[in-house]
Amino acid sequence: MGCSSSLPDRSSGRLVGPNGENGGASDAKNLRVKLVLLGDSGVGKSCIVLRFVRGQFDPTSKVTVGASFLSQTIALQDSTTVKFEIWDTAGQERYAALAPLYYRGAAVAVIVYDITSPDTFNKAQYWVKELQKHGTPDIVLALVGNKADLHEKREVSVQDGMDYAEKNGMFFIETSAKTADNINQLFEEIAKRLPRPAPPSSSQNP
Amino acid sequence: MTSETSPSVSGDEASDPKPSPEDQLASLALSETDGPASGSPRENNRHNEIESAEEEVQTNSAAPGLAVVENSGEAVRRGRIGGVLWARTNSEPEADGPESPSSSGYAGERGSSSASSAGSGIYEIAEVRDDEVVDGVSDSQAAWVPGKRHVDEDDASISWRKRKKHYFILSNSGKPIYSRHGDEHKLAGFSATLQAIISFVENGGDRVKLVRAGKHQVVFLVKGPIYLVCISCTEEPYESLRMQLELIYGQMLLILTKSVNRCFEKNPKFDMTPLLGGTDVVFSSLIHSFSWNPATFLHAYTCLPLAYATRQAAGAILQDVADSGVLFAILMCKHKVISLVGAQKASLHPDDILLLSNFVMASESFRTSESFSPICLPRYNPMAFLYAYVHYFDIDTYLMLLTTSSEAFYHLKDCRIRIEMVLLKSSVLSEIQRSMLDGGMRVEELPLDPLPRSGSFSPHLGQHTLPTDSPDGFRELYGGIGGPAGLWHFIYRSIFLDQYVSSEFSAPISSPRQQKRLYRAYQKLYASMHERGIGPHKTQFRRDENYVLLCWVTQDFELYAAFDPLADKALAIKTCNRVCQWVKDVENEIFLLGASPFSW
Ligand SMILES: Nc1nc2c(ncn2[C@@H]2O[C@H](COP(=O)(O)OP(=O)(O)OP(=O)(O)O)[C@@H](O)[C@H]2O)c(=O)[nH]1
Ligand SMILES: [Mg+2]
Repeated sequence: MGCSSSLPDRSSGRLVGPNGENGGASDAKNLRVKLVLLGDSGVGKSCIVLRFVRGQFDPTSKVTVGASFLSQTIALQDSTTVKFEIWDTAGQERYAALAPLYYRGAAVAVIVYDITSPDTFNKAQYWVKELQKHGTPDIVLALVGNKADLHEKREVSVQDGMDYAEKNGMFFIETSAKTADNINQLFEEIAKRLPRPAPPSSSQNP
Repeated sequence: MTSETSPSVSGDEASDPKPSPEDQLASLALSETDGPASGSPRENNRHNEIESAEEEVQTNSAAPGLAVVENSGEAVRRGRIGGVLWARTNSEPEADGPESPSSSGYAGERGSSSASSAGSGIYEIAEVRDDEVVDGVSDSQAAWVPGKRHVDEDDASISWRKRKKHYFILSNSGKPIYSRHGDEHKLAGFSATLQAIISFVENGGDRVKLVRAGKHQVVFLVKGPIYLVCISCTEEPYESLRMQLELIYGQMLLILTKSVNRCFEKNPKFDMTPLLGGTDVVFSSLIHSFSWNPATFLHAYTCLPLAYATRQAAGAILQDVADSGVLFAILMCKHKVISLVGAQKASLHPDDILLLSNFVMASESFRTSESFSPICLPRYNPMAFLYAYVHYFDIDTYLMLLTTSSEAFYHLKDCRIRIEMVLLKSSVLSEIQRSMLDGGMRVEELPLDPLPRSGSFSPHLGQHTLPTDSPDGFRELYGGIGGPAGLWHFIYRSIFLDQYVSSEFSAPISSPRQQKRLYRAYQKLYASMHERGIGPHKTQFRRDENYVLLCWVTQDFELYAAFDPLADKALAIKTCNRVCQWVKDVENEIFLLGASPFSW
């Protein structure tokens, strides 16, 4: 099970069109990865994505409805490229039951909390448990403490985040979508941790 | 099932060689004489000539002759106690018999004891200044700031009491769900008061519809475990306020579906506010549209004017997509439809279009990137979610693809890419931009003479302007303000198409305040034309200090027109006929014809 991006359509019977998620096959040099962001409303998931994809930060709140889809490709040092197909989900409670729709088949889940709000840290732990139970096997999990620029209002210590992540085999980082601190690092670190597809000689067909 | 408009009218006519009463009424019209209608149908031009006056209502002041208090057509009792007027409505007239728990005198009795409890809550919403006009009028989105205002207020604040219009949603256990002004939770006490009134009357087997308290009307709508309340001193008709509550309820269903009722079955004290988190902007923009968007009372949608071929091109690609398993494909520019297509047998109600477009436009996140979200179309199926793919092509133009499959995102994304390619290639998107700049029909451009029927008016609808040396002398009479004969504005609603067209606002209806006043006047006119039990109003001519209002309803269309208050009646009537002719002449461009989902 080396090819993470071939997982989606195996686990769900969705319609896949010519330009669908399986349109450009991953190979060893060019990875396509489905990534999902989860976390309480207002922790900054959309801001993280927009900072990563468009290099922008808009402080006016735009509550996500359902889920937004964006993609961004990065090049790694070893000249491989990784195309992230990102599902930025809505943190509002009414959409919680829909989360499987978006995390199903995801190779990466980024679980975000706000370092100034312990409630959102609790919610993050809920998502970790749910993904451990129902997520793709071998999913790469990242725990992100966002709004690190608000250190004077910090209520979740770095240590708490780090400890929890370690216990659950997750990658941990604190970010600020506002200052762009650690945003690119987040995605680069994820890319490095991705399982690589097997060389072309072995199975390429899903 | 879902569409209220049936295209069967012509079928009925065909089976009956004699003109039906509707036909005769349709042919009745206004004339220069004030007498009753002659009643003789004029077959040759019955749909585009107003000729004889059927009714004239003249009012000298703003005092409306309309005191709509109850759901007409149902058994009603009223009691006036201490200025509070109760309207009690039994759900079935015959239930007023022996087995009914209510007896005569019931309303007054209950009314009086409830009135005292209502008094503290309702009576004290005292004199109101026109402060709402400042924040709630303008048609331009720039002037209106979305989102809830005055969150710091509660029912003890003077400012809160002075708001002209309040809307509440609460549960039948009295838990606040939504409030237009102020924070829901701080208003818990007030909600409990409203709830007490509702359950008091409900327990007697009745439903509160309306309470009057001085200048205020309090309108109630009960939807299972959910109560909706409007408190208003705007003098809007009861029927209009009730329809607004229906739309607010529909908006809530669009977000949650009716299955939210089950939460209350499990736990009557269920707190629904978290389920509506982040949707304040959706409700406040809907409520704002109650003061500018005619779709909210006409129950019709409006189209962006486009050359026939352009709209056809858009419709063809949407149809293509619908054939590939998309339930509805809707292309819109702000609140105006460019084209829409439904899969076989699926029809879209104008109210669903209104609520869906309001939801999408008010939710800023849709503008950021393509989205996939569950939504419910309350008129289509209030129980089930559909999935909406939403994508903005430019700042105003957006595509909505609806499906029943939660797995269809990538398919819909492909559909969008195909649609976008076609729209770009056939320059539909640039035509849309141009139409936005050009605007729609202008009263100043009302053609003088009948135009060739097949003519196309591209590039712009207003090519045929009134010559300055108008032989009729309209211009001389009215100093060049507005259109001929003092015509200031009109709305034309095609009943068969479920669509309306509204002329652009121009001098002297140029300020937001004047536009809102005219809007309210139309709203009142609409309500009076559609009142049940008052007999079929087919025409109305009203003159007050603000306008001459002329309304003409046939089985095919409704025309609402506003004129200078000094307008000559005969000329006004003549002008209305010309407006109808004009609309017919350009219907290819202002309406979505043909592949309408309503005609399946
Ligand atoms: N100071 C600071 N504020 C941030 C940061 N990231 C986001 N915010 C603010 O937090 C608010 C919410 O951010 P969003 O990105 O919309 O939150 P979300 O997680 O996408 O919320 P939902 O879409 O409702 O799930 C925004 O108004 C931002 O201004 C950050 O790094 N620092
Ligand atoms: Mg978001």
